[in-house]
Amino acid sequence: MLTNFVIIPILVAVFLYLFPLNKSARFLALLAQLGLTAAAFWLFLETRQGEIFLSIGSYHSVLGIYLRADLLSAMFIFLTAIFFLVATIYSFHEDFGRLFWFLMFIWQAALIGIFLAADLFNIFVLMEVSAVIVAVLIMYNRLKRSMYDGIIYFAVNIILMQFYLFGLGYIYRLTGTVDMYLMSERIHAYHYNYLMLPYAAIMTFIALKCALVPLFAWLPKAHGSAAAPPAVSAILSGLHIKSTIYLFIRFQDLFELVASTQFFLILGIITGVFGFVMAIAQTDIKLILAYHTISQVGLIFTALSIADATYLGGFTYSFVGGLYHIFNHALFKGGLFLSAGVLAAAYGTRNVYKIRGVFRAYPVIGAATAMAIFGIIGAPFFNGSISKYFMVSDADTLLNGVLIFMSLGTIVSFVKYSNILFGKPELPEDAPRKLPILQQTMVLLMGVLCFLSGIFGVQTIQFLFDITVYIDLWGYIEKTLIFFASLAVGVLIYKYYVKESAFLKRIKNVEMGFRTMVFSIGAFFTTILLVVGVFYQP
Amino acid sequence: MRVELAELFAVIMFFISFYGLIVTRNIIKSVIFIIIMEAAAIMFFLSIGYRSGILAPIGPNLAEVESWAYIADPFPQALMITAIVIGLSVTTILLIMTITITREYKTTDWDTIKIRSLEK
Repeated sequence: MLTNFVIIPILVAVFLYLFPLNKSARFLALLAQLGLTAAAFWLFLETRQGEIFLSIGSYHSVLGIYLRADLLSAMFIFLTAIFFLVATIYSFHEDFGRLFWFLMFIWQAALIGIFLAADLFNIFVLMEVSAVIVAVLIMYNRLKRSMYDGIIYFAVNIILMQFYLFGLGYIYRLTGTVDMYLMSERIHAYHYNYLMLPYAAIMTFIALKCALVPLFAWLPKAHGSAAAPPAVSAILSGLHIKSTIYLFIRFQDLFELVASTQFFLILGIITGVFGFVMAIAQTDIKLILAYHTISQVGLIFTALSIADATYLGGFTYSFVGGLYHIFNHALFKGGLFLSAGVLAAAYGTRNVYKIRGVFRAYPVIGAATAMAIFGIIGAPFFNGSISKYFMVSDADTLLNGVLIFMSLGTIVSFVKYSNILFGKPELPEDAPRKLPILQQTMVLLMGVLCFLSGIFGVQTIQFLFDITVYIDLWGYIEKTLIFFASLAVGVLIYKYYVKESAFLKRIKNVEMGFRTMVFSIGAFFTTILLVVGVFYQP
Repeated sequence: MRVELAELFAVIMFFISFYGLIVTRNIIKSVIFIIIMEAAAIMFFLSIGYRSGILAPIGPNLAEVESWAYIADPFPQALMITAIVIGLSVTTILLIMTITITREYKTTDWDTIKIRSLEK
């Protein structure tokens, strides 16, 4: 049963490659995607009764390859299926050619495979597959600039895959298995010192894939790539990066002996602050969103690491907030990237100061963008406010201040972004009067989902993670007041600082070359080895 | 824990190629270093199953062995054959990308490409 989730997208992909321009073929693909979404929903409901697992080839032994779905992975699979459904409908009438459709469905199979895989070697293989696919997709339209982006993305990712393989080999040497669950039983028999090296290697891999500072440099290139179709950018930022956060949650449980939550807490804060500073400095709408993804990943890492929480070791409210923010960030960032794609095509530019008057020119897109922005800055009644409310609940005063500061940064960067909504539209001559109805619907759907998962926040958390949480009304009102205060401060900062800051202009084009990136990988690896080896040595 | 010579060699090779990736400016050399790194990781994995004086897990003389402890663990080999195949395709893609980027930018130097990519 579980294998179908991987096999069916691959079959659809092959089918689409063989019958590319036939419209009914695409229609069938859409139907298959709908079916897959329904099946993912069924799987999601089924895992509430308990884990589902399947041994490929029926080898019921240590050597068998297992697929397992628990509530967390089923949630991610459900999210994947929805996202690809939206992307399929969004690009339904686009003329991208057969390769695009082929890659999209293989990509989906690889992502679902990562969420289902119970052994670390399968994860390695599927990660390589998805790295290849993403590298091809981000240089899809073959612009000169995107060739460089593509090779940087691919080369850096492949180097980190070798780190992962190295770490995996080391754990296999200790435990004699690659199965995650068996490994977590056996790993306790080993002394702390033996686990340091594999932990450092694997966490370097995770940190790069999640674009934590200082390993972020590939992300704006890949996610903000001009040559990638909008649906690809949306999936990259909304979903693809979450697959590694999922692995982070798993590996923190696996390595609980050496796992350092404090290190990732600090790293998350640095990443969050750095991300929004860079986002504020950009003028390209896709790059603002891409850098902002870095900031949000930092926020998620911070939330997941507050109060030493792990997935299996008992939830805290902050951890739930982090999990919910993964889901929310997928919704609003997906919506924003999709609408940015529409706008960039209509206005013929991606400069945030040149796109004006979206509300007047394209009211539906404008409304959806506004809803997604409300979600991301955590306006009351929108989903961001719920996840941010839970995130701070386990934070002490200092951390609370830091989180409010990060939230303020988000507000400033989106005050800048919301420039595009107002004013008098200056459309080029050949701009379309009406946008394709399917694209408008999908963008609006994402926006509305941001609102719905906000008002029904508690119910959505109950539904997605099977955890009952409560919102204290006075606490929520307090957070709302803080939000409005920081919104006012954010607008002031934007007006009087951001607009003519020389500092921001200077850091706008800061770029890391390939060799600097590799060097920072080495530096990160050494740092994490030192942190777990020296500072946390029990 | 015993450390085999092959393992030590693989680890050293891994970090030498990493150093190479930092210092080289040529894309082709970078690709070669990535291949060496891959080979080192694979060699590390393979050498897990090996101890000196142990039998290969294939062949006719397996039947005479008294205990399983004298036979090398075949599992890493099974995994690594997959990793080698992936490595091959990854190398191919990297080289194809190198060809396209060299045609576009007329150079194989990372730093020059970075500067030229910023020009409009």
